[in-house]
Amino acid sequence: MSSEPEQGTTAGPDATDATPQTESYGPDDGILVANNLRKEFGGLVAVEDFSFAVEEQEILGFIGPNGAGKSTTFNCVTGFYEPTGGTVWYQGEEVTGKPSYEMVNAGLARTFQHFRPLHDRSVVDNVALALVEDSLFSFSGLRGGTKERAAQLCERVGLADDLHRLPDELPHAGLLRLELARALATDPTLLLVDEPFAGLAGSEVERISTLIRELREEGLTLVVVDHNMRGLLSLIDRAVVINFGSKLAEGTPEEIRNNEEVQRAYLGGDL
Amino acid sequence: MSEDTASGRITEESDRSFPGVPVRYIVGALGLLVLAALPVMADMELGLGVPGVFVLVIDELFLLDLTVALYFGMFAMSWDTVSGYTGQISFGHGLFFAVGAYTSALLNLGHGFDPILSIPVGVVLAAVAGIIIGVPALRLRGPYLSLVTLVAPIILLNLFIFRSDIFGGELGLSPGPENFLGYGVGQASMVYYVALALFVFIMAVLLLVTRSDAGRVFTAIREDEDAVASVGLNPAKFKIFAFVLSAAIGGLAGAMYVHTPRGGATYSELFSTTVNVEVIIAAVLGGMGTIVGAAIGGIFVGLVPKLLDELAVEIPGFVPVFGGTSVSEIDFLIFAVITLFLLYVLPGGILRAVIHGGQRARGWRRGDEVATDGGRPQRVITRVVGRWREQLRGDDDE
Repeated sequence: MSSEPEQGTTAGPDATDATPQTESYGPDDGILVANNLRKEFGGLVAVEDFSFAVEEQEILGFIGPNGAGKSTTFNCVTGFYEPTGGTVWYQGEEVTGKPSYEMVNAGLARTFQHFRPLHDRSVVDNVALALVEDSLFSFSGLRGGTKERAAQLCERVGLADDLHRLPDELPHAGLLRLELARALATDPTLLLVDEPFAGLAGSEVERISTLIRELREEGLTLVVVDHNMRGLLSLIDRAVVINFGSKLAEGTPEEIRNNEEVQRAYLGGDL
Repeated sequence: MSEDTASGRITEESDRSFPGVPVRYIVGALGLLVLAALPVMADMELGLGVPGVFVLVIDELFLLDLTVALYFGMFAMSWDTVSGYTGQISFGHGLFFAVGAYTSALLNLGHGFDPILSIPVGVVLAAVAGIIIGVPALRLRGPYLSLVTLVAPIILLNLFIFRSDIFGGELGLSPGPENFLGYGVGQASMVYYVALALFVFIMAVLLLVTRSDAGRVFTAIREDEDAVASVGLNPAKFKIFAFVLSAAIGGLAGAMYVHTPRGGATYSELFSTTVNVEVIIAAVLGGMGTIVGAAIGGIFVGLVPKLLDELAVEIPGFVPVFGGTSVSEIDFLIFAVITLFLLYVLPGGILRAVIHGGQRARGWRRGDEVATDGGRPQRVITRVVGRWREQLRGDDDE
């Protein structure tokens, strides 16, 4: 069900619920709302008038094959790219094109698909950085309070035994956990997790899924991006499927699983 | 319960991971004591070394040489703050050195300002220059920013040549400005103590800044700017801060230097390519990203060529090409070869080598501390250049 590009860009507060039929969203349709988001790189349209809404405390799956525009959408929403067009609302406020650090301080954290640990410091120090105030003259770190908090966060994601390891010594799953701990340290209300299951063994997928579910129980809203359908569909409440930069389908895991268009597009009809 | 374990681990580990701190501090305090005692030795005209071959006479001349080296050490520390910590390699740091020095010298010579007033103005203008150079750092990353810093001193030089009537072109200002507080060659001890006090003060300030939370953000920017932004920190703010702080201190070092009996406001002393390269060599040689290492490297680079120049030793005749030549004739060549050798055998810098040597000697065997290839920040320059390569290749997160 592809969208029609030039529908109304604004919608009143009485706009209907997020369904594939209504392709125009307003600021109050969810905790995070993107309306007609568009990103071009030169002549290439990576994201084409894409709209979606994230509801509070849900786990939303953001699915699409490689190159579908998942990460680009992600980067536009989190302020790492400036969108070419469209609007992003976060908690009812327009945040389109705001720099990433402001988005994080507003409560929208992210992890990176290609993990970006700071290789020069230990796991706990990686997390401690996220607890540093965005202020030039801050000495809170010298008192040791942030380190304790960082250690607690490491423990929360299952890195209790690796506090003083360097990121390079961690296994793949450990690096993912580190990304999560660092994002959690910013005290987010919404967490965007980019490709958590890529390169993970089946048992690890299960453990990370459990962790994500627990975080949701604690009040967090999560958006999980992945192309690994199998791991993802059992985790999420709802999914948005993106292909060639625009929305292909949206719905519950069952609806997505049974959607012929989704199957045809890139699941090879096998789910 | 679980929280107790985590915090418990922290304290236990931090006790274990800093066994060398007291030793380091003792060595540092001893070094400063020796520096502070040198004028007393100068009064006694003490000589160190092997009689007949090489005797280092601690005299007033030596104190003045060391004064210049101390200011160069300050300058090297300022470079280290921005380049060693945030990884924004400045190829034209002499610009700040020169802006501070020329501003103060011109105010003193042309308008009769006392150095005690003109030096702060020089510092302020150098800080402004830091903002001007630092702002491109908001948009340019890694190698691109370094190109900007490479070009900036060239622009300044051509401005100085264009208005030779004010700036004296490549030859600089002649005669030089007044001495700070009027201390001339005759009061070498006082000139030296002023420099030493300022040197210690600046080192303390920079150690405080780099060991505070801001310092942790600096090194995180060196590692990965996007990761810094992703935890809610504004990298631009911290980069500009590092640039302005570094520029102000570089300007202070330059302004103080120009008001010593040895210093002059000339292109070759303040912002020539040689100066720009020497400050990098000083910081890398001493230990990039440590402040103290940069200070040591600065003194080394500031002092050793002068000592070699005063060395009245002939190279033995069996040495090809150079046999029979006096060391003082090829002093800079020898200095460069020594430097090259040290850079080769101590890629992490003198400071790290000394600390690690000390740790090994005392039998501390922290396996990960000794391994140089274990991802430790041993070779800051390697890490910085590695980041450059990634940036030139493009964003890898898509």
